[in-house]
Amino acid sequence: MEAQVEQKYDFEVVRWFTIMSVVYLVVGTLLGVYIASELAWPFLNFDTAELSFGRLRPLHTNAVVFAFGGCALMATGFYTVQRTGGTSLFSNALAWFTFWGWNLIILLAVITLPLGMTQAKEYAELEWPVDILIAVVWLAFGLNFFMTVAKRKTSHIYVSNWFFMGMIVMITYLHVVNSLAIPVSLTQSYSVFSGVQDAMIQWWWGHNAVGFYLTAGFLGIMYYFVPKQAGRPIFSYRLSVIHFWALMFGYVWLGAHHLQYTALPDWTGSLGAAVSLAMIIPSWGGAINGMMTLSGAWDKLRNDYILRFLIMSLAFYAMSTFEGPVMSAKTVNALSHYTDWTVGHVHSGALGWVAMVAAGALYHMIEKLWNTRMYSPALVNLHFWLATIGAVVYITAMWVSGIMQGLMWRDYDEFGTLTYTFAESVAAMHPYYAMRAVGGMIFWSGGAVMLYNMVMTIRQAMAERVTAANAAATA
Amino acid sequence: MSKLEEYFHTEWAALTVHDWVGLIITVVVFFLMVGLYVWVFHPKNKETFESRRHIPLENDFDSEDKK
Repeated sequence: MEAQVEQKYDFEVVRWFTIMSVVYLVVGTLLGVYIASELAWPFLNFDTAELSFGRLRPLHTNAVVFAFGGCALMATGFYTVQRTGGTSLFSNALAWFTFWGWNLIILLAVITLPLGMTQAKEYAELEWPVDILIAVVWLAFGLNFFMTVAKRKTSHIYVSNWFFMGMIVMITYLHVVNSLAIPVSLTQSYSVFSGVQDAMIQWWWGHNAVGFYLTAGFLGIMYYFVPKQAGRPIFSYRLSVIHFWALMFGYVWLGAHHLQYTALPDWTGSLGAAVSLAMIIPSWGGAINGMMTLSGAWDKLRNDYILRFLIMSLAFYAMSTFEGPVMSAKTVNALSHYTDWTVGHVHSGALGWVAMVAAGALYHMIEKLWNTRMYSPALVNLHFWLATIGAVVYITAMWVSGIMQGLMWRDYDEFGTLTYTFAESVAAMHPYYAMRAVGGMIFWSGGAVMLYNMVMTIRQAMAERVTAANAAATA
Repeated sequence: MSKLEEYFHTEWAALTVHDWVGLIITVVVFFLMVGLYVWVFHPKNKETFESRRHIPLENDFDSEDKK
């Protein structure tokens, strides 16, 4: 059976994307813990520019979003498109080109970002030569995915593939437009946009990187792996179709809500907030669709630790897709903008939704790809609790810190002058910054447990294969 | 002019080509979404859509014996 599977599908490249995804999860979150610690204890930058928060923060975001998230998306994308289409990849060679190209981009980020080479665009810091490389490798991934869908053996294109295709199309468009720049040297360029247009393009990209890369792509993961791990069909296919199209048409409008009370025309921010609130409907529809897949079989959560990851991620997805629209409303935004509340919101999505749904999918794939069981289910359970507790500690610290910041910044005394200096608000944040670093450390330790468990599982699978081969030879 | 009328007052002549393109796309997408809701939730289409719920479970290999 195993040999037939290997002949029918191209899984070796999926295995390597899976391994690298877990490695980058550990590295990326460790960087996050380090820079969180720098904010609590600034001496940790050791007066070294390359270790300063400003240099390492983009490395952290690139590592978790593009290295970990990208490898998880490519692993699951290449896996699910083959499984749901009953066919191998359009081109195994192109998949390997994508693997090496993506890892080269990550290596270039590791070199250039600590050296301060940056376009200074959030979540798009890499300089123009790397941007071109990203476009080429991403298109290779997209071409391979679309052509694999085209050569499928099934009549219908399953909804998870729609989410992946939506992500691929939109990220291509967003990345190319946002990265348009005039190069002045190999390591320096200037955006073709300026002033408020530059801000608008930046957040059109910024929020849609969240909407299409970290949401649509990971919903593709959810729609395949939740039913698969639960052994039950998705609760409502009709709801999944509505979820997909509402997400595709709605998300592109949201970027302006990042720019409330700025030079951007007022109506754009209002529109961004209005569509953000409307997006609660498809987002909650999707979350309910995933969770209700377990309807009548909730007992599975008692023993299936991988399923716990997937369902808990949906709870975080529902929570952060409610919190985001609330924060986009002008009244709330007046308090929350520029505070740590935003950081907390991002991490409830990143740690609670993205990382946990990816972890569930990666555990599922590890068992399938190496045709074995996890080395230690107890460690999967330990990872689940570390991830959940770490995420909650992190988010809670940032909620308290952010609301306190917002209230301190706008507090006036009876003479109409500010009650607190900015430095006083920074000093007040210290306990919460320390608490955030602890929460991040707890979450990171869960990733480290996963890496250990994955390595031991692969070693176990290899040992089983040798034993089976020896038994066959002696028989 | 009532406050509501004032709020929705639009200087149509002042709209640029970009404004018109955006407006048309928005209105078209709105009607497409309405059409989508009607199509997806029409009772006669229920069976066709829901028959696809099982696709992830219909794989031709799964060494479930290890489970």
